[in-house]
Amino acid sequence: MENVVETRKLTKAYGDFVAVNELDMEVKQGEIFGFLGPNGAGKTTTILMLMGLSVPTKGTAIVGGHDIVEESREVRRVASILPEYSSLYGDLTAWENLDYIGRLNDQPREERENRVGEMLELVGMSNWADSKLESFSRGMKQRVGIASTLMKDPQIVFLDEPTIGLDPVATREVRELIMRLNRERGLTVVMTSHLLNEVQLTCSKIGIINRGRLILQESMENLNKTMSGGEDRRVELMLTETTPDLVRDLEVVKGVKSVAQENGRLYVYSNADSDLEVSKTIVSHGAYILLMKPREYTLEEIFMKYYNQEVAA
Amino acid sequence: MAGTMTVAHKEMRDQFGSRRFLILFGLVLALGGLSAYQGVDYIRNNVGSSFVWIFSGARMSFSFIQIMVFFGPILGLALGFDAVNKERANGTLSIVLGQPIYRDSVINGKFLAGAAALTTLVFSTIAIMCGITIPMLGFAPTLEEALKIVALTLLTTVYLLIWLSLGILYSTVFKKTSTSILFSIATWMTFSIVITILGVALSSALVPLPAGDFIGTPVTPYGQGGQGGQRFSVSPEYMETMQERQALQTAIQRLSPTQLYQETASAILGVGSFGFGRQEFARTTTLAEALGNNWASITALSVIVVVAFAASYMMFLRTEIRTGE
Repeated sequence: MENVVETRKLTKAYGDFVAVNELDMEVKQGEIFGFLGPNGAGKTTTILMLMGLSVPTKGTAIVGGHDIVEESREVRRVASILPEYSSLYGDLTAWENLDYIGRLNDQPREERENRVGEMLELVGMSNWADSKLESFSRGMKQRVGIASTLMKDPQIVFLDEPTIGLDPVATREVRELIMRLNRERGLTVVMTSHLLNEVQLTCSKIGIINRGRLILQESMENLNKTMSGGEDRRVELMLTETTPDLVRDLEVVKGVKSVAQENGRLYVYSNADSDLEVSKTIVSHGAYILLMKPREYTLEEIFMKYYNQEVAA
Repeated sequence: MAGTMTVAHKEMRDQFGSRRFLILFGLVLALGGLSAYQGVDYIRNNVGSSFVWIFSGARMSFSFIQIMVFFGPILGLALGFDAVNKERANGTLSIVLGQPIYRDSVINGKFLAGAAALTTLVFSTIAIMCGITIPMLGFAPTLEEALKIVALTLLTTVYLLIWLSLGILYSTVFKKTSTSILFSIATWMTFSIVITILGVALSSALVPLPAGDFIGTPVTPYGQGGQGGQRFSVSPEYMETMQERQALQTAIQRLSPTQLYQETASAILGVGSFGFGRQEFARTTTLAEALGNNWASITALSVIVVVAFAASYMMFLRTEIRTGE
């Protein structure tokens, strides 16, 4: 698939402080890319550079086929941004806000009006089209904000902490909206978030940045494989009964390295796929398997692993 | 250009709908009307008075020039002091600049909108003042007087644009609106009050009065006998020193656009200006003479507008967009 974002040694320094350090990043068309990192890691600075709003000190980047420095205006035709904690104009209605964005994109009146209606419908805000933004909840504002990013029919949207400050219901609504836009419209999304479970549920690929350096860039699917590679495989078991004999016998099953008991559950660590032999052994002891689940790595675990490696380095 | 006009259109809508602007507009209109009424009173009682003296009020009253000297800076600064930093604080700047427009469209649009609001205010105030006085006086301005009114309108607009440009400059330089409003007030007070005080203090210090008795022989004016009516002439040396001191004081005060505006506007109207609230109907120059004598002041006022706006323009283009803007 074609790269919508491609950076090469992208660097941004403010005096002696290097906010983004030789960043090489790729986002393919149709991906939802989760950009993770602690506060001050350089996520927002990267997004601002990719939007052509901040000039890189060194390096290059192509967004939607356009150079972010030489063709920054073209970049802003194909890319949209919803900044962190931002809001549109509180004294304007939802319709007026989107209309203003349409005007800034030089859209003819008829096209603009149709688009405003369509976008408000898409984000479920048609009934509040004529209400001022200042009367909206944070979740409603965020939905109108997302609609505003779609006014120009972009190839890619940068969402900086789109669920920050939202209650669980609004968070879920925004998450589902992002996924729907990606699924139905093929929209490429780059989003930053501190809510790692949100990113895990939403994103198809993640990048972890720390102190300006990209320390990981991988698809979620590959990450789980990478995380388990070289480590013991762990299977979580819930049985009708657990006896010391059963534990002893499980420990000698081929491929099993150790067995642990915790909170009424058994955890079998193995270096090969020994699930079948493990289940046979359990049944041979007259017990039944209520749950058998291979371990899934949470994004928090993945993040902390790479973050700690980077910090230690 | 499309981006500039879009931003200007939205800003104008904001300006004309803002309570801040409407209150000041209403106040200026009300005071302008009152001043014109007093001007009418003066013209009626003084045969041969010029129509344009409706803008000068009656002697010792609040004239149009004084209204603008006082409210002009407030109006200009009020429209400009948060033009850019408010967008930063609300996080709307990156949304607007994230659209395919040139970056200068934002600052140009904001200046255009402010300029349009101030021009509307000046033109409508002067038009309303003329509109209510013509029926009251029963005569209209002559061509020369009409041209003087046009010149006064343009000069006042330029004077207000100075303050708008300074306000926009502060809103570009300072990230917080509280800082830019403080600097705006400080600038207004410096040019309106501090320079006047400084002018008096410095001229007194640099040009001391001559030592000894400078009072000349007593003079009894015609029809005023006795001690109470007696006046004293002053020595030529004293007069010379006072003129020198006055010249220095004026030169220092001319560092302020307020002084330049006041002098030029008074010259256009053909009145002498003697500070806040006081005017002397002493000079009746033609418009050509007034403009000829004050071209340097007019140029200086225009240059201040250009320099202040150019500074904010350059600064805005160079400013980095940071997180949360």
